[in-house]
Amino acid sequence: MRDIFKAEWLRYRLWILAYAVGHLLVLAFFNRLVDLGQQPINVRRLFGAVYAITGILLGLHQMGTWRRPNQWINLLHRPVAPRRIAAGLIGAGAVALLAGVVLPLAAIVAWQAWGTPRIVELRQAILPAAALLIALCGYFAGAYGLLADRRYSAAGLVLLAWIAVADASGPAALAVQALACLWLLAMVLIAFRPDLGEAPRSAMATVVTAVPVQMAVYMLLLLAGFVGELLWIMQGTHPNNMSTPPRGGHVEAERMSGRERMIAGLAGATSTDAALWREQVVLSDVHELDRQVRSIGTRGELNNTMPIEFDDPETRSHWTFSHGRMRFEGTGLADGRPAGELGIGGGNVAFDAVASPAGVLPGIAKGDATIIAGNTLYQYLSAARRVVPRVSVPHGEWLLGTTPIGGSLAVLSDRSVYVVDGRHLLDGETPPVPRYRVPIPGEPGDLYTTELVELVDGYLVSFTFTQRAHTMLGAPPYQTVLWVDDAGRVTPVATHALHQDFPTFYRYTAWWASPVMYRVREMAAGLFAPVDPLGTTAIPPIPGSVRALAAVLALLSLCIGGWVAWRRASSLPARAAWTLGCGIVGIPALVGLLLIVPRREGIVDDTVHAVPAT
Amino acid sequence: MNETRHAGYVIETRGLTKRYGKKIAIDHLDLAIESGSIHAIVGANGAGKSTLFRVLLGFLPATSGEARILGRDSRRLTPSDRERIGFVNEEHTLQGWMTVAAVTAMQRRQYPRWSQPAFDEVIGHYNVQVGQKVSQLSRGERAGFNLALSLAQRPELLVLDEPTLGLDVVAKRAFLETLLHSNAVEGCTVIYCSHQMEEVERVADNLIIMERGALRNVSPPDDFRSRVSHWIADIPFRGPDPRTIPGLLDAQRIDGIHHYLVLDQGEEFAEFLHACGARDVHRLPVSLDRAVNSFLSKQHAAPVAA
Repeated sequence: MRDIFKAEWLRYRLWILAYAVGHLLVLAFFNRLVDLGQQPINVRRLFGAVYAITGILLGLHQMGTWRRPNQWINLLHRPVAPRRIAAGLIGAGAVALLAGVVLPLAAIVAWQAWGTPRIVELRQAILPAAALLIALCGYFAGAYGLLADRRYSAAGLVLLAWIAVADASGPAALAVQALACLWLLAMVLIAFRPDLGEAPRSAMATVVTAVPVQMAVYMLLLLAGFVGELLWIMQGTHPNNMSTPPRGGHVEAERMSGRERMIAGLAGATSTDAALWREQVVLSDVHELDRQVRSIGTRGELNNTMPIEFDDPETRSHWTFSHGRMRFEGTGLADGRPAGELGIGGGNVAFDAVASPAGVLPGIAKGDATIIAGNTLYQYLSAARRVVPRVSVPHGEWLLGTTPIGGSLAVLSDRSVYVVDGRHLLDGETPPVPRYRVPIPGEPGDLYTTELVELVDGYLVSFTFTQRAHTMLGAPPYQTVLWVDDAGRVTPVATHALHQDFPTFYRYTAWWASPVMYRVREMAAGLFAPVDPLGTTAIPPIPGSVRALAAVLALLSLCIGGWVAWRRASSLPARAAWTLGCGIVGIPALVGLLLIVPRREGIVDDTVHAVPAT
Repeated sequence: MNETRHAGYVIETRGLTKRYGKKIAIDHLDLAIESGSIHAIVGANGAGKSTLFRVLLGFLPATSGEARILGRDSRRLTPSDRERIGFVNEEHTLQGWMTVAAVTAMQRRQYPRWSQPAFDEVIGHYNVQVGQKVSQLSRGERAGFNLALSLAQRPELLVLDEPTLGLDVVAKRAFLETLLHSNAVEGCTVIYCSHQMEEVERVADNLIIMERGALRNVSPPDDFRSRVSHWIADIPFRGPDPRTIPGLLDAQRIDGIHHYLVLDQGEEFAEFLHACGARDVHRLPVSLDRAVNSFLSKQHAAPVAA
């Protein structure tokens, strides 16, 4: 094994050295321009994709040069077990990625930590490990692509896709990447044997191969649906692309202005005041409530889910939120020197959630800024270099945004809308008690927009729940208008269901294509992931027609799968298991069976028997 | 059925069949090769020779039948079994980026029975420097280096799959001389696969002919050559209908004289020709090259079972 490892390392060492130097230079260049430790997910995805492609290319080249028949015999026909030979090759590949990907990245992290005042914490320190795991996953996927039967050898890419869509954050993301890496390693070891391209032999090997293959088939089915959607768009009848969306539908509601939406919401109002409200809406300002926080950051996350940096031009300082200290750390804009720490109040107390700058409010001094963290809106006082709480919603709720409305401030949380008296908002040390609280009549994940109109005797608040109506996870689209009187009583004014613009079978494609694979996908994406409080939706029950379609497909898969399995070269238990799998998983298992289990080779025709040798 | 299963066979197949889809690469092959001496396997392209080696070494599963090498089921070869089997292919695939010394050191560590004298003896026939990279060696030097590595492993069975393919005359001669006169070959059974009949004639003790995946002949080369005879007949009129000529492999008419290559025909063939109107008949010996080529060319003229 050691000899194979050394031989492979010798083979790639110059290329790896060149890659490492190039990688280091690119990182150093970008690190001069931006703080690479504080980047959003799309930047991380770009880097991850580069590392994954690096791994894929290495795996493809390494195994591609060995897998030619004579090379393969030369490699494996020696008194060394195939597993040990594989370990030598993979070890060399892993060390190559370590040298080419991890070392330059670790050098940059070390430079950040000890050569700059930038924040380097656990979430930045583990980035090289994440890069290594992603590159290794790519390497294994590339290697598997050439070692396994070409009919399903691309299935390893599914595990890379898993990393890309997984919701896990911080060290938990590393755990997901490590799991994907181990799975891919197992696939490579299963495929790494003298008789390349043959079907896996043991039940465990079959399962390890079949799950990604079936998931790949499932993803291809969804991709086919996406291609169909593109054709739909080209036809010009896709609801999102029609010049005039379907009347009464949720796409139409989403395209309305706030005023139009409020008027549409009042259309079904039966209150005696409805006619008056309609007149007032036409004449008054309709405020769409701003939402400065679109997603909630998780402490220790690898990517910045939300912005965590802001500049104070008055004091010439730059503030970056530290996940480790749960406070902002300052650096001078002019000299880059450390400029202190920023917590809450005079005691510099740590924030209880990841804090994000949220712009400015009317009346705050130049250089001041607002910050949202958890259930509280804070004001950063530039002159005093302090952070003081200004508005709070009850514990357990997430403050998402604020909108000035005349002399008041509307505050949107994930559960309610609050109206706060703005006159003394920026005075004092303690947040004022809201004048009104309007519970949101739905789930935060469904809420598309909220409008508010100030009346003579209160407020009209409109909630439109269409955010995920085009998917099977969103509530059926609807709009609700509430009236809040001066005493704070909330009275429903009108609720009307909006038409579904997308056909049922379109919305449930991911489910009826294979309910089991859908569940597996959801579980995989959510593995080790924190609960997203903003993602909760009122999931409607699956319609009977969709269930019937899934059942028919499963039954068809069961019948065809049984017929196919009995004609394939496998044992009786394997055939039974495949048949059962086709019935449970559906089309992905059926296609998996066709791809993985080889045809039974027919008996040679007796008429072409060899003539006995003399 | 079990009569061929004893310790004396280095290669043994029974009803071995390999199909690629509808194409038959090996067709119910029953082959038993005894240990010792040099066995040549010849056959046209597509005869199934390389497929046979790949099946025997466990790199390709058989469609049906059994394949055993050194007494072990080919599908269950262990690292220690592989240590006993040397294999040299026509590409002489070695790690081109490594030096001769590095490759040698790696092989020495991996093969417990490594014989440095055997390696030195064989590599001494070639102008190979230990500091050279393998990729810098000429094709002939690489072939010699590969042979030296294989023989130094002291294998019980050495499989040479067209090892002289692409070599020039000098390199080919050096390779064969090494193979024939090296002490390292002693005690080793050699399977030599080649299209070059002059090589086969020179090195082989036993000639195995394969055609379209099936076994057509197993015998010493001279025995096979003696089975093929070249008859020259002066027949003033049209010769006999080829379909009536017994054992016919090839028929030609040159300058009015009929030439027949026939298999397994004795002096009675002269009587046959005379009966067909021949005024004068001569029998000439044929080279192994011509015998094998005509045998393989005449696909449907299968030899009669002995």
